[in-house]
Amino acid sequence: MFADGLFFGFAVLAVLGAAGLIIFRHPMNGAMSFVVTLISLAGLYALLSAKLIFALQLIVYAGAIMSLIVFIIMFLNIQPDDLPKEETKLAYILGSIIVVLPIGWFFTKIVKTLPMSSTEIIGNNFGGVQQVGLLLFKDWLVPFEIVSILLLVSLIGAVILAGKRRVNK
Amino acid sequence: MIHNYLILSIILFCLGIVGVISRRNVFTVFMSIELMLNAANLAFVAFSRIHESMDGHVLAMMVMAVAAAEAALALAVVILLHKHKSKLDTNVFSLLKG
Repeated sequence: MFADGLFFGFAVLAVLGAAGLIIFRHPMNGAMSFVVTLISLAGLYALLSAKLIFALQLIVYAGAIMSLIVFIIMFLNIQPDDLPKEETKLAYILGSIIVVLPIGWFFTKIVKTLPMSSTEIIGNNFGGVQQVGLLLFKDWLVPFEIVSILLLVSLIGAVILAGKRRVNK
Repeated sequence: MIHNYLILSIILFCLGIVGVISRRNVFTVFMSIELMLNAANLAFVAFSRIHESMDGHVLAMMVMAVAAAEAALALAVVILLHKHKSKLDTNVFSLLKG
């Protein structure tokens, strides 16, 4: 099956990108491998026939948010001795994998009890802009407005936090 | 098969937790949190594919908006702390220890 092969490729790329994010020392390398994860997640959304989320993942996440992060990393001009010395990084990674493993196993058990469902592409405009937009403005109107207030608050907060000039000092 | 998507989402979430626990670089911790948000998004979209309703897509869009707000605020805080301490180590940022 072609879709299964695509799923496997995207899944391997996503997990490799996430592992690279954890392992790389410099945050720029980590950000680049995280972009790989985000783009392969966009492919997975397309396989789940979520067309609007696919486009938004590429534009907003891999485009806007990651370019903001990469811009800040380059703006701070990080030298290798600014980075924290993590001699015990591998030990911590192994330890936290041991901590996290039972949780993941538990959730995998839960997932296995779900009924089977196919992942074929649904037509009928499922996940398109029109359908999702209708749902967003009919059933999810109040959360949508709350999100707009949240964005306004974070905008003001970011300007107040990072925009100080300190002329008097 | 839809289970594989959910299991992949669990794996990505666990990797995000591992990143938050084990790393001390501020940017890596921040991007690990973003990774956990993305794993939740994948689970939302997979569940909305199971039920063939689009509420999960709307929730995923909300999560993206929250992630954008979080990115703006967290990066502002990182810039401030880097200005004060010129380090990126989370152990240095213990101003509230008392």
